[in-house]
Amino acid sequence: MSARWRTSATAAALAACALLAAACGRAAPGTGGSSGSGNASGGSGQVSPTKGLVISTPAGKSSVASVTWAVYRPVNSLDPIFAFDYPENTAISLMCESLLLQEPNGSIKPGLATMSTPVPTKMVFTLRPGVKFWDGDPVTPADVIYSLRRQMDPAYGGFYGQVFDRVKSITATGSNQVTITLKQPDYWLEGELSSMAGIIIQKSYAQKQGKNYGTPAGGIMCTGAYKFVSWTAGAGVTADLNTHYWNPAVKPLVKQIVIKGVPDAASFTSGMLTGAIQGSYYFGLSNLKQLESSSAVKVYQGPGQMTDAFVVSAASGPLTNPKVRQALSMALDRQAIISNVYDGAALMPRWLANPGTFGYGTSVFDAAYDSSPVLDQDLAQAKKLVKEAGVAGQTITIGTSSELASISAETGAYQQAAEAIGLKVVLKSVSAADYINFFTSAGARKGIDGFITVNYGDYADPAGLLSTLALPGGDQNYDGFSNPQMTSLLNSARTTANPDQRAQLVAKAEELASKLLPWIPNVQPTNVLMLGRSLTGAPASFSYMFAPWANTLGGKG
Amino acid sequence: MLLASLLIASFVIFGALYLAPGNPISALSGGRALPPASLHVLEQRYHLDQPFFAQYWYWLDNALHGNLGISITLQENVSSVIAARMWTTGALVLYAAIIILIAGIGSGVVAALRPGWADSSVLVSTAVTAALPSFVAAIVLILLFSVKLGWFPALGNGTGFWSSVQHLTLPAIALAISSLAIVSRVTRAAVREEADREHVQTAISRGIPARQLIRRHVLRNAAIPIATVSGITIASLIAVAAVVETAFSLNGLGAYLVQAAESKDLAVVQGISLVLVAAFVLINALVDVLYAVLDPRVALGSRAQ
Repeated sequence: MSARWRTSATAAALAACALLAAACGRAAPGTGGSSGSGNASGGSGQVSPTKGLVISTPAGKSSVASVTWAVYRPVNSLDPIFAFDYPENTAISLMCESLLLQEPNGSIKPGLATMSTPVPTKMVFTLRPGVKFWDGDPVTPADVIYSLRRQMDPAYGGFYGQVFDRVKSITATGSNQVTITLKQPDYWLEGELSSMAGIIIQKSYAQKQGKNYGTPAGGIMCTGAYKFVSWTAGAGVTADLNTHYWNPAVKPLVKQIVIKGVPDAASFTSGMLTGAIQGSYYFGLSNLKQLESSSAVKVYQGPGQMTDAFVVSAASGPLTNPKVRQALSMALDRQAIISNVYDGAALMPRWLANPGTFGYGTSVFDAAYDSSPVLDQDLAQAKKLVKEAGVAGQTITIGTSSELASISAETGAYQQAAEAIGLKVVLKSVSAADYINFFTSAGARKGIDGFITVNYGDYADPAGLLSTLALPGGDQNYDGFSNPQMTSLLNSARTTANPDQRAQLVAKAEELASKLLPWIPNVQPTNVLMLGRSLTGAPASFSYMFAPWANTLGGKG
Repeated sequence: MLLASLLIASFVIFGALYLAPGNPISALSGGRALPPASLHVLEQRYHLDQPFFAQYWYWLDNALHGNLGISITLQENVSSVIAARMWTTGALVLYAAIIILIAGIGSGVVAALRPGWADSSVLVSTAVTAALPSFVAAIVLILLFSVKLGWFPALGNGTGFWSSVQHLTLPAIALAISSLAIVSRVTRAAVREEADREHVQTAISRGIPARQLIRRHVLRNAAIPIATVSGITIASLIAVAAVVETAFSLNGLGAYLVQAAESKDLAVVQGISLVLVAAFVLINALVDVLYAVLDPRVALGSRAQ
């Protein structure tokens, strides 16, 4: 009994990290883009991709003194160039703002600046009137240029440099205007500039702090409705209401927000139940039902942008054959993963992309998605495919970590699926900390035919993830996948201005990916928002990762 | 002695972490493939491109000059990382130690001197709690006293003295509970043994008052084994504290040591481990000094028999 408890308590915590660690190999920059004004709610269509999910919660009505917000581990950095994971993104998007703003439904709106594209290779950003930092200084083109160049410059060691690979120059073209000139059109950059890569920090402050910028010693200087107050290593990041916020239309209600790392899932659950924690976007909880049934907590499920998938990294062997990948996908018991790993907070997939990523061209995406088949289990057909491919009795090697409960549960589902269709499975288990090496080290992937990941892009675009794994040279294209039709669809999408036309190209690429399965989608996790009984107003969608999420948070009445 | 322990420990820990697979940069970048230029910058910044001995020497040289290095994940001085967390672990261990000493020794003495109902109930309850690992105790305590009854907070450190005491009560009990049982058992056995000794029996027959008898002839003599076992169990709490801190989301050294080891944040692992090793050595030294106070036959500076 005690042994079981131990696994559920510590492993759940590790799992969060694992998923992330794994998620980890999230969609890389340099990919994806979006514009237009989609609506991820998907309307009320019968088989609407995100039916039953909520995008935002009713805006708060009354003032609240303080809210403790939990993330799965303590925040490590408040510097946007080093923000890659849930805790950092949550804290930075609370306090800092990007050039463009990602709405809860995934559409992109003006943020600190409005954007126009006079010609396809020029993006002109005009700063909105009155935008100012917490210290009252106005945001200038120099701050914008500094922030973007800091992202691009390898000397800073930032994570988003590749996002700007089509950028030729960034120059001030007016007292409140910055122009990005591109080598060739790039309609994916817009999305990046609505997330971490587009965060604007104060040049003079950052230069003064140097290497200390974004650390507990140096602090930060941004523009958001919440301003940085203190950061005690491990204890949490404290942000106070910015009473001089530049946008008078935004009237936040919570006086103080503390972002606290709670690595232990059991501890998180009791914190929510007792009110010690009042809100969180905690991810991958296997005891979600316990919170759902409590009167102290309100659980919302919104559109997610993460995909839980099986990474195909096989250099040789049966999995290099698309037919075998199809067979494996058909043999997989996805419902078991949804109930055992996500406790219900995930959807059956049709594409590799989570339907929560339809941030533009939504009606095009919705229609295409609805007409694609659900990836249901079909053992008879799967066996037939294996027979046709003539690979029965051959072996596949799956990388896993027995220390990560969710990863090993899904690996188990794959083992079962593979054995059901006559393949042999060898598991190669590594420690939780080393799981990440499957993503970063070719040496660790050697001899490994696949492994589980949870992956996401920087903004709402199905192409964001797909391009990293299906384009030759993509960051996460571990098996050297290359398909001329796929390459041409994605490359045309990147240079297509019209959102609906772009959506059509991307939808075709996704349909193709569902057949060729460069990766095998497992399930599509929804975005889980948990709020204490008396709170409301946080977005329930994945947009919290990139845009302010506490601006309408408050008491119920 | 302390310095030698620290030096050996630092080398072993550094070596073990160096040999363990994984890379702090990939932990830092979350598995995102970094462009080679960025990777190079980060590796240089943390001296990860140097060979093992150069890295160890670099760390040791700095440590000897009072600089424990910089945390790769937090970008903060390791000494301030430790300073921010030391109080929590210290208070937690101290609180647990007080519980162990008062409740453990107290219940042991009562069980030894009051055979019958009191003795049996102590025996039964210590048999159960001795087998209760801290992480199980933590879950049970949270479920019962925080979630169901709402008497104590479920997680966090609290601010101010009383709030901190309230926040640390359940963690301290979780940490103390199995050691408490062991101390209680040993106390009971030691007191029983002393009480049966000839000189005690003689004293009883001479009509010396019970209170004086117990204090002077029984407890004084039983103190050595009790101090030994208490010292060892309290010192071992320092290591177990990591589990309890994680379960209660306390901002302590142990909990962060686990995280730092996972992300291969070498300087932090080194720094925290050394603090823990030093505390362990110091507590043992304290117990040795206590022997001399308790038993005049043990002279300070002489070797243990």
